Amino acid sequence: MAMALLSAAPPNHLPNITLTQSTAKHCAILKPYFSFRLKKQPLKYQCLASTSTRAISDHEYGVGSDGSPLPAAVDPETKFQDLKWVGGTWDLNQFLKNGKTDWDDVIDAEVKRRKWLEDNPQSSSNEDPVVFNTSIIPWWAWMKRFHLPEAELLNGRAAMIGFLMTYVVDSLTGVGLVDQMSNLFCKTLLFVAVAGTLLIRKNEDIETLKKLLEETTFYDKQWQATWQDETSSSSKLN
Amino acid sequence: MASIALKSFIGLRQTTSENKSIVLSKPTTQTHRNFRINASKSSPRVTGRNLRVAVVGGGPAGGAAAETLAKGGVETFLFERKLDNCKPCGGAIPLCMVGEFDLPLDIIDRRVTKMKMISPSNVAVDIGRTLKPHEYIGMVRREVLDAYLRDRATTAGATVINGLFLKMDLPKSTGSPYVLHYSDYNAKTGGAGEKKTVEVDAVIGADGANSRVAKNINAGEYEYAIAFQERIKISDDKMKYYEDLAEMYVGDDVSPDFYGWVFPKCDHVAVGTGTVTHKGDIKKLQIATRLRARDKIEGGTIIRVEAHPIPEHPRPRRVLDRVALVGDAAGYVTKCSGEGIYFAAKSGRMCAEAIVEGSENGKRMVDESDLRKYLEKWDKTYWPTYKVLDVLQKVFYRSNPAREAFVEMCADEYVQKMTFDSYLYKKVVPGNPLDDLKLAVNTIGSLVRANALRKEMEKLSV
Repeated sequence: MAMALLSAAPPNHLPNITLTQSTAKHCAILKPYFSFRLKKQPLKYQCLASTSTRAISDHEYGVGSDGSPLPAAVDPETKFQDLKWVGGTWDLNQFLKNGKTDWDDVIDAEVKRRKWLEDNPQSSSNEDPVVFNTSIIPWWAWMKRFHLPEAELLNGRAAMIGFLMTYVVDSLTGVGLVDQMSNLFCKTLLFVAVAGTLLIRKNEDIETLKKLLEETTFYDKQWQATWQDETSSSSKLN
Repeated sequence: MASIALKSFIGLRQTTSENKSIVLSKPTTQTHRNFRINASKSSPRVTGRNLRVAVVGGGPAGGAAAETLAKGGVETFLFERKLDNCKPCGGAIPLCMVGEFDLPLDIIDRRVTKMKMISPSNVAVDIGRTLKPHEYIGMVRREVLDAYLRDRATTAGATVINGLFLKMDLPKSTGSPYVLHYSDYNAKTGGAGEKKTVEVDAVIGADGANSRVAKNINAGEYEYAIAFQERIKISDDKMKYYEDLAEMYVGDDVSPDFYGWVFPKCDHVAVGTGTVTHKGDIKKLQIATRLRARDKIEGGTIIRVEAHPIPEHPRPRRVLDRVALVGDAAGYVTKCSGEGIYFAAKSGRMCAEAIVEGSENGKRMVDESDLRKYLEKWDKTYWPTYKVLDVLQKVFYRSNPAREAFVEMCADEYVQKMTFDSYLYKKVVPGNPLDDLKLAVNTIGSLVRANALRKEMEKLSV
């Protein structure tokens, strides 16, 4: 019965179909809801005669003849559906594993939802508002999943660089590890190495950092431009 | 977070000469100091007449400027090309504008006391719980507001000229007048107006984003956003939802660097979006905005389509000799929220006050230093507001994860209170440091979580 529904849906609803296929087995209770949505009236936007007087724009923007009905292809009828998505948020009771909430699963589910919504933007509705907040997932779940692997990677890099540099400095100057640590210059180099591994992960990061720095002061420069002009105009007046 | 940002930036505008040494490390700071002398006090008296000032543009900036000038005893000419112009505009004014400009309450169509922020994944957050009963955001029709301010200027003694400013001749020597060429739209003849000229001593350019006065003084260009909106008439029961509520939609689909909105107007809603970087995609962005609001505006009819430019930052030059720019012509629109009406009116008033003071109520000639005083006062008073909004835009309008974090943060009561206080009263008030710290930690937490989810999303698409 679920398959009949799927064949009735228009072909351009491909993403929706993949989602419903995954829930097809559980679809029985949702079926009435689905058929209701498919019968919904398409959107009607009419253009009154007064729109010919539009384009009272200061800018020669050239507003074309608008008011045509939304093209059907862009008008998805289905919303985000998932058994575990109840009342505009994830039902944590359905994510239990061995009696405890499996936070990784919750994160995965939210990622899938956001990805789906990014590809198929949905209308926000007052009847079923979304109230999910990422802070319901505890901080240690985030750390375990995201921070720890990256920390391991960066620490590994820093350690490798540190070991290599210690060896090179020792072979060149004969100063051992302990003596290097009490030298200010070496400590500075160590600090630069650690900061470098943190900030620069790819070659492009150097450019990104430079652009970021410029960005923070750009707005200020735009505001002060009128004051820089002052010296040139004062010399003109004199 | 506002106060943390404030502490780093408020030092910027202590004295302008300090900034000079930061920005250009040239010894010219010495000559710059001499400019601070009150030169106009020694400038010649204007004999036999009062100072003449032309205000080009009859919007909020022009109207406010003309009124203040006329009240100050200056002979004022206010040029407006279309007296019944319905300028396309968001139409939101903060509470402080009603008090500061003595606006009658009947020109405010609606009082918005609730706002809904909607994230890219449709997480909807209501803000406005912290508003006191007398606080609101006023929605006005521009034609009503502009006409009211112009009428007040006329009552104060300004002369409103229905004409189109064409160009102006710069003075050949110090003290000689500016000659303005304009087309007078005489009601009797209709059609093209007759060319006329008028001589004035100073000019205030309040003619909006495509300012001709700015072109005449080579004020330079600025980046601008295109704001595109459709006025949609929806059914009464759907209109009830928007009785005192405005919506803001954020997301890459709606705008890559701005936001989409549904603002209630007198008897319809305005649905629109804007962008700086993707102006060519504006139609697509508008369709996406309509889609996101579809459930709430379904069955509506579009009664008007309009677009207008919004400046993103001030022009490189805002004052030259005895010409000053105010409002949109100067580029005084905030980032993040795109608010311009209040700042236009306030800058018009501030500039006019500087002229009145510098000319001792119209008795003396003014010069550039008097107009620079207006710039100094303006920059000092409103720089924190502009900078904070710039930082907010840079941090939270960057990407979808940042917008998700933004909406999450807006659910916090402290954030709502700070946001509304600074919006309604135009003062960046440093809050409780402990709360600020908590806010900073929460902000970073939200951003980190949202970005982590985004990285997982990218893994999915691969």
